[in-house]
Amino acid sequence: MSVDPITVEVIKGALIYTTEEMGIVLRNSAYSPNIKERMDFSCTIFDAKRRLAAQAEHIPVHLGSMQLAVQKGLERFKGKLENGDMILFNDPYISGTHLPDITLICPIFYEGETIAYSTNKAHHSDVGGKAPGSMAGDATEIYQEGIIIPPVKFIKKNVIHKEIASIVLSNIRTPEISLGDLRAQMAANLLGKRRILELIERYGTETLQKAIEKIMDYSEKRIQNEINRMPKGVFSAEDYLENTGTSNKKVKIKATITVKTDQLLIDYTGTDKQVDGPINAVLGVTLSGVYYVLRCLTDPSIPMNDGCYRPVKVHVPEGTVMNPTPPRPVAGGNVETSQRNVDVLLKAYAQILPEKVCAACQGTMNNVAVGGINQENGKPWTFYETIAGGFGGRKGIDGVDAVHSHMTNTMNTPIEAIETTYPIRFIKYELRKDSGGPGKYRGGVGLERSWMLLAPSATLSVLAERTKIPPWGLFGGKHGNRGEHYIIRPNKKQIKLRSKCTIKIEKDDVFLVRTPGGGGYGKPLERYPELVLQDVLDELVSLETAEKEYGAIIDSTTMEIDWKSTKQYRHKQKKLDT
Amino acid sequence: MVKYRVSIDIGGTFTDLVALSEESGEVLDIKIPSTPKEPARAVIRTFREFFKRTSDVEVSIVIHATTIATNVLLGQLNLELPKSALIATKGFRDIIEIGRQNRHQIYNLFIQKPQKLIPRIFRFEVEERIGPKGEILTPLNKNQVRSLMPKLERENIESVAVALLFSYINQVHEHEIEKILRKALPKIHVSLSSEIAPEYREYERTSTAVVNAVLMPTISGYLDDLQRDIRKLGVKAPLCIMQSDGGIATKNTVTKKPVGMIESGPAAGVIASAYYGKLLGIENILSFDMGGTTAKAGAIRDATPEVVSEYEVAGKVHSGRIIKGSGYPVRAQFMDLAECSAGGGTIVWVDSGNALQVGPISAGAEPGPACYGKGGEQPTVTDANVVLGRLNPEYLLGGDMKIHPDLSEKAISKEVCEKIPLELAEAAAGIIRITNSAMAKILRIVSVERGYDPRDFVLVCFGGAGPMHGCALAEELSLTKIVVPHNPGLFSAHGLLTADFKYNFVRAIMKLMDEIEVKEVETVFQEFAIKGAKLLKKQRVPKANMRFISQMDLRYLGQSYELTIPTSAPFTEDVLRQTVENFHKKHTATYGYAVRDEPVELVNVRLMTTGLVEKPKLKGEPLQRENPPKEAVISKRKVFFEQNAEYISTPIYIRKKLKAGNSIHGPAVIEQYDATTVVYPNWVAEIGRFGNIILSIKTGDH
Repeated sequence: MSVDPITVEVIKGALIYTTEEMGIVLRNSAYSPNIKERMDFSCTIFDAKRRLAAQAEHIPVHLGSMQLAVQKGLERFKGKLENGDMILFNDPYISGTHLPDITLICPIFYEGETIAYSTNKAHHSDVGGKAPGSMAGDATEIYQEGIIIPPVKFIKKNVIHKEIASIVLSNIRTPEISLGDLRAQMAANLLGKRRILELIERYGTETLQKAIEKIMDYSEKRIQNEINRMPKGVFSAEDYLENTGTSNKKVKIKATITVKTDQLLIDYTGTDKQVDGPINAVLGVTLSGVYYVLRCLTDPSIPMNDGCYRPVKVHVPEGTVMNPTPPRPVAGGNVETSQRNVDVLLKAYAQILPEKVCAACQGTMNNVAVGGINQENGKPWTFYETIAGGFGGRKGIDGVDAVHSHMTNTMNTPIEAIETTYPIRFIKYELRKDSGGPGKYRGGVGLERSWMLLAPSATLSVLAERTKIPPWGLFGGKHGNRGEHYIIRPNKKQIKLRSKCTIKIEKDDVFLVRTPGGGGYGKPLERYPELVLQDVLDELVSLETAEKEYGAIIDSTTMEIDWKSTKQYRHKQKKLDT
Repeated sequence: MVKYRVSIDIGGTFTDLVALSEESGEVLDIKIPSTPKEPARAVIRTFREFFKRTSDVEVSIVIHATTIATNVLLGQLNLELPKSALIATKGFRDIIEIGRQNRHQIYNLFIQKPQKLIPRIFRFEVEERIGPKGEILTPLNKNQVRSLMPKLERENIESVAVALLFSYINQVHEHEIEKILRKALPKIHVSLSSEIAPEYREYERTSTAVVNAVLMPTISGYLDDLQRDIRKLGVKAPLCIMQSDGGIATKNTVTKKPVGMIESGPAAGVIASAYYGKLLGIENILSFDMGGTTAKAGAIRDATPEVVSEYEVAGKVHSGRIIKGSGYPVRAQFMDLAECSAGGGTIVWVDSGNALQVGPISAGAEPGPACYGKGGEQPTVTDANVVLGRLNPEYLLGGDMKIHPDLSEKAISKEVCEKIPLELAEAAAGIIRITNSAMAKILRIVSVERGYDPRDFVLVCFGGAGPMHGCALAEELSLTKIVVPHNPGLFSAHGLLTADFKYNFVRAIMKLMDEIEVKEVETVFQEFAIKGAKLLKKQRVPKANMRFISQMDLRYLGQSYELTIPTSAPFTEDVLRQTVENFHKKHTATYGYAVRDEPVELVNVRLMTTGLVEKPKLKGEPLQRENPPKEAVISKRKVFFEQNAEYISTPIYIRKKLKAGNSIHGPAVIEQYDATTVVYPNWVAEIGRFGNIILSIKTGDH
């Protein structure tokens, strides 16, 4: 029996819509802001053979980890799953991301047979461990990062297993929130199950399975078409993490891409060994970077499923920072190493598809957590955020100013909400002048954000990158500015912070963060002087930078371009360059 | 002297004028091509035409819907953005540009933020600071404000938005700035965030004030011109404008708050559906509007259209949902609509993986579908309907437009069948199936995703193409009843005539429900009610026709999303308890659970004041015999129905000849000037009292 192409197309739409609808149920019924506002979750459908059939466009860092999670997580349940069961786990070495991401898998039965799985993964605001939020910047073992849950039958006959829930929730600082989120995850899977059963009632098992097969083949073919448009060859790149959180040693990540007919090989040989600090990235995170970049460089409308994986072979040597072994800590791998992984891959692809890549984006998520004890009620408070920076320049257009890039896309919390809830007062939230890497297409500028502590004392944690090694430019574009973090005491004394630290702060101390700018694309001397002038008028580029980096001479009184001097200066600079 | 109520709906292709005689209920329809560069010109022409066709008439009210606001923001139609400025708290002038720091497409390395409405050089900062309790931490530096005036004048700034931190609690600094602006620059338009959107969340509030500021010069200029022009034609009636929430407001109100009329056009369709529902006694409606380029879905529950409090203007749409961050957020009441690129003119193509795709590109009016014979070579949804025999193969618009079925066949054969091994009919049926599944999705968004079961709804199908797809959509969503209004193509313009006056008020009060002073809230409601009544009185709305609905935006402490819950007046302790109880219930209905021991937080109080307008009295015909008159069948042609997988000889009815009470068993096609209704084989069509068609699934078939 064959399935007609129109039915395949309709089923394709239905499967993707199912994963999107699961996401809406999850988001609407969840408690924690991570899930509700930041959409830090992923919803998927797997086929009977445990291959990814559909995934909604949620968060990139889960892209490659779901298939691993389903295949590894269900290994021990062969033949032991029943209708109404759901499997829960967060062990990063099985689930493919860090501990706060909890995976829930629901097998879908029809006439006694497993015909599919609805599955989701969501970031819980706390899973225990040494630091609130379970993202300690100085963990040396995974045991310090929170409770490790191996794959367990968390739900049996549609009822949560009370004893398991009790063990899990006893290890979490905010058990009510997590329980609410787990219920939301369960609701999302149940919806997925219902929709799949509706599809079966309508089309029958055989048609559904054949259609899924065809959808996967379709994605595979389209990815292969895209690969075949790339020049063949071997292309390498490397970049560094500036420290490990526990030592100042920099850590190398290296990737080599081999483009063949119908196939891409990506090899991480040459990457540094795993480290004691929490910046190890489990294999799932590494793969997510690979698929994220591929999606960006090909057509993102290609439906995400097993077919997309087939033409890509990835080799990551075990025991390296991109494929560590237990019990290495991994919390920061998701947020910081994942960004550097993308930088390395884009640098390699810059040699393959120079017109489709961007220069380096800010390359960090600037995780900042501050917390203490509320004087009035004695209860602890914590505020956590990630802060945007510059996007790299692209062929034809400047990098975006002040935006989240690559593996994260979380929204900020309104200042009016923060100040109403927490004892901090904001002083500044603005674009950071001169931070975008000079280029024909300028890198996006970073941000300056500062606030003052109003409580007697608090603990401040920073987990960031790109304060030493700046985001690189491409094709003659210069690098963006490095990030900076300061504490300014009431006596105006400035203390520069390390990019991964936990310190005590006191009343009236001001925390100031300047986030990195994106790298420039193309030679800055080729930038149209009118665009440089516009940036100067917008106070995003100073007169000095305009002259020194762009060779655009602007009269500081009339604010007009001095065309003659500009031409002369640029001519001279070009000669010097050659 | 006969009094007429007149509505004018400016669409992308046509400008419609509908006039309704207040005495006889007689309706006049006028359709004239739009004049996008000067929209008012087509309006004048429709009026001239109206006066030509009537004598001794008086226009009692003019109600107008237009997309001009969206067009300004999209930079379309030669409408340049006016020069505007922003005044913000020191240290925070970039809030408007940073936004929520997310990007609206994740897998796009060439992503761009929407065009800046106010460049950084015109975003000014002033020393001042209000704290989270409304306390003044730093007094306003008035000299600094004054020193900005010469600059604003020199730069010919036309409008200024003022958006300060925490101004939703304490407006004093924004008002002081306004005073200085008005004194120094009396002609300048001023948009205060504390007046336009007095709600917390600085980015969204600032954005609303900025969008408002940017619209003020253009909208007030446009409405002034329009009013002057129609005055010249002797029309003295008040000029009213459709708002995005489905209410109408006067020109003066709109000039100060143009941000309220952004989705003026699409709202009219939902209002029309709601009115029709009342007429037919249907309370739960899914409204479905399919035109040339897009399809739109809305929901009406308990006879009330669903509204939302935020919308992204000029934003991009992905699978029917507006993508957050792709446009300019506006906090105001909007009809809850989902939209997709599926209209008659939507282009069909085969992608590099050999899958059939529909949209998002549209052939528009020029060249239009291949069958128009105007040079379009790419197949469209309309071409598929022609091939399937659903559309008249000779002409449309009662003969005004010739149809070339051979060109439809050629386009589909070449662009689809040569790439995917499908027969012509299979390909055309496939196009319709894929289009229907995209449209079913937007109907799901406004029902299933909002926590409602679509089976509790009746589908109202309109727009030129809507009634052709009704049966398939209903089957997809398991609906059993469809209503096609008597004039699907002009339905939205008719909707304008049924709209009521509406004025909405909102104030942020962020307190736990356990801790609020009932009196404080009641005072706010009363203050709003007095303001609303005053505005309605000006429109000569009698007291008996005034309605006041008080609402509260509530959430569990710690949540970041609110639910709007109706409450009642006067606001007492009992009412408070009942409102909290209703919140738990709505939370359960929307999200599947409630947490009764969790504290409930009040975020905003709202009052919606409505001035009911007398509705057109449609003349109902008495229901006659069941069988349609013989002359109603003009021909038979072969129509393809996918459940039969073949062409079936199908009777073609002419709408005008059908009488109320007639019933027609599918398969059948009913043709009229502005639309074609397709009755699937397992459906029955019945002509209603108002010339409407009611389609029901045959019992035993479902």
